[in-house]
Amino acid sequence: MTWLVWRQHRNQAYIAAAFLAAFAVLLLVTGRQMASQYESARSACAAAHTCANLANTLILDSPVLSLLVTLTVVVPCLLGVFWGGPLVARELETGTSQFAWMQSITRTRWLTAEVGWALLAAAACGGAVSALVTWWSSPLNALNHQNFEPSQFDIQGIVPVGYALFAVALGIAAGTLIRRTLPAMAVTLVVFTFLRLVVGQDFRSHFLTARTLTFSFLHPQHHPLLPAGSYWLISAGLVGPAGQVASGPNSGGAGLNFDGIPISLGAMPATCRTLVFQASREFGSCMASRGYHGLISYQPAGRYWAFQGIETGVFVVLAAALIAVTAIVVRRRDA
Amino acid sequence: MMATSDPVVIETRGLSKRYRTVTALSDCTITVPEGRISALIGPNGAGKTTLLRLLAGLARPTSGEAAVLGSTPRQAPAFLADIGFLAQEIPLYRRFTAEDHIAVGAHLNPRWDGKSVRQRLESLGIPLDQTVGTLSGGQRAQVALALTLAKRPRLLLLDEPVAALDPLARRQFLAQLAEAVAAGGLTVVLSSHLLADLERTCDHLILLAAAHVQLCGDIDALLAEHQVLVGPRKDTTALERDHTLVQAVRTPRQTTLLIRRNGPVIDPAFQAEDVGLEELVLGYMGQQARPGPAGRTGPAGRTGPAAPTAGTAGSHLTSIGDDQ
Repeated sequence: MTWLVWRQHRNQAYIAAAFLAAFAVLLLVTGRQMASQYESARSACAAAHTCANLANTLILDSPVLSLLVTLTVVVPCLLGVFWGGPLVARELETGTSQFAWMQSITRTRWLTAEVGWALLAAAACGGAVSALVTWWSSPLNALNHQNFEPSQFDIQGIVPVGYALFAVALGIAAGTLIRRTLPAMAVTLVVFTFLRLVVGQDFRSHFLTARTLTFSFLHPQHHPLLPAGSYWLISAGLVGPAGQVASGPNSGGAGLNFDGIPISLGAMPATCRTLVFQASREFGSCMASRGYHGLISYQPAGRYWAFQGIETGVFVVLAAALIAVTAIVVRRRDA
Repeated sequence: MMATSDPVVIETRGLSKRYRTVTALSDCTITVPEGRISALIGPNGAGKTTLLRLLAGLARPTSGEAAVLGSTPRQAPAFLADIGFLAQEIPLYRRFTAEDHIAVGAHLNPRWDGKSVRQRLESLGIPLDQTVGTLSGGQRAQVALALTLAKRPRLLLLDEPVAALDPLARRQFLAQLAEAVAAGGLTVVLSSHLLADLERTCDHLILLAAAHVQLCGDIDALLAEHQVLVGPRKDTTALERDHTLVQAVRTPRQTTLLIRRNGPVIDPAFQAEDVGLEELVLGYMGQQARPGPAGRTGPAGRTGPAAPTAGTAGSHLTSIGDDQ
């Protein structure tokens, strides 16, 4: 079966390998430049004691390259649409399944080989792209502490592997059920995009219970109580003197950026509000004397890999369920 | 005549297949002994393809059962190795060459005769290293047939295998088929509309119409059982009581009856004639038009080629005469 699978899909494999190789060369070259640039900037700022401000002064990546790296978020979707969708659907559509299924092998063995290699290739592709992006982004991660940002989280670590497995499994299942290539590809695109967005926006922040933290405004710079590293800020607000919580999540509108934490102006006492853009020390004592504290809920930086693992697990389980459905349908339904 | 003691290769009982609203095959009971080349005949939509797919295990029956080579058709290497099935659409990987297909077969079948495929295709002048998508329809059919034979199956199920072939290739292929069967251990069921070709090659007949089996048996025996009676216009009630009337064509002057005999015909008014395969087949197909009163009448197609009009099951291929 392996020979058949390879003969059927070798062109796709060559195309993917070519893209991957080009992408790898690009990222390896620019990634090394970025890393050395970051290192020299680090030693320079350490000598000048200005490292706290480094994130605001140092720009490592070019916009074009950043865009390209950000666009790797669509790689799993492409794999699902162009590898998964046609895998079974095209065989059913052109009738070649009748050729394959009348050789002296069970459909289960046929499906195991076709699906197994497809999933393996998808995981390898997703993993390779993600490994390159993760390595390439490491100076940026160290600099910007934005690992939990969807634009970073979704293209680094192990989640792209889970996405790729799920996308390809979705394509295979859709093709098996719909039995036509183009509709299967369309369904894969829509369902995958929808699920990714729903999980990313609505479920991810609830994977683990967020921690909360109140802090005083007295120490504007480098508050020792604030979480360290690339933590994920879920919401920020104020606790008033009577314990009431003012202001909602970190929505837009005018606000104060307190050490990276947005505090909306509307919730502050009016007298302190006028001090916001003046001396920060006065603002801090104004808030403290009126009994106002900052309140945030957040996921600590140390949970990054737990979140990566949970999200990957969710998509791998979904992929497994889809493959199980596919196997049942292929075995039971008429060719 | 065939020996009646040949082991049975195909035996079905009450085999039925329903798709959502359509009954593709209903209560199909047939027997095909070993070593036959069986012609599966019927108008379009009669259920030929469905029957072949059920026998190959590609589809599951809604009810009834089938025994093929002693076991229920199933997805098992041991069963599939014995079955050569070729679908009407001639499914091949369009981007594969013939040589690629030979390699696939070698990987996936226990006894594979790739050499025979190469020999066959080379003798036909069909390139082995060209993707089959670029071959002509007839050449593709030849490739697919050669691949089906290379499995060395014990039962060949061929759905319209010669439809795409030119007359000479058709005759050659059928001759080769007959040769392979004569060598022993092979049974063939092939569907076709080309009665003339089948008559030359086949020794067994399965006639389907409107999802039902009309006839099943060795052709010689079937022909011997049937007779055409030509006589004056007269009451035939007595005849119909003794024999099974298949088809009657009545004109003001003459009555022509196709009957299945139960014993000798003793009516001096009628002249008995032997029946040919085509006459027999068309007679049974015409009979099927009966349920609809609006069946096309007239002597159309009585001796013409069996080129059925595209239409629904039991289409009025040859609905002849007033058949009350």
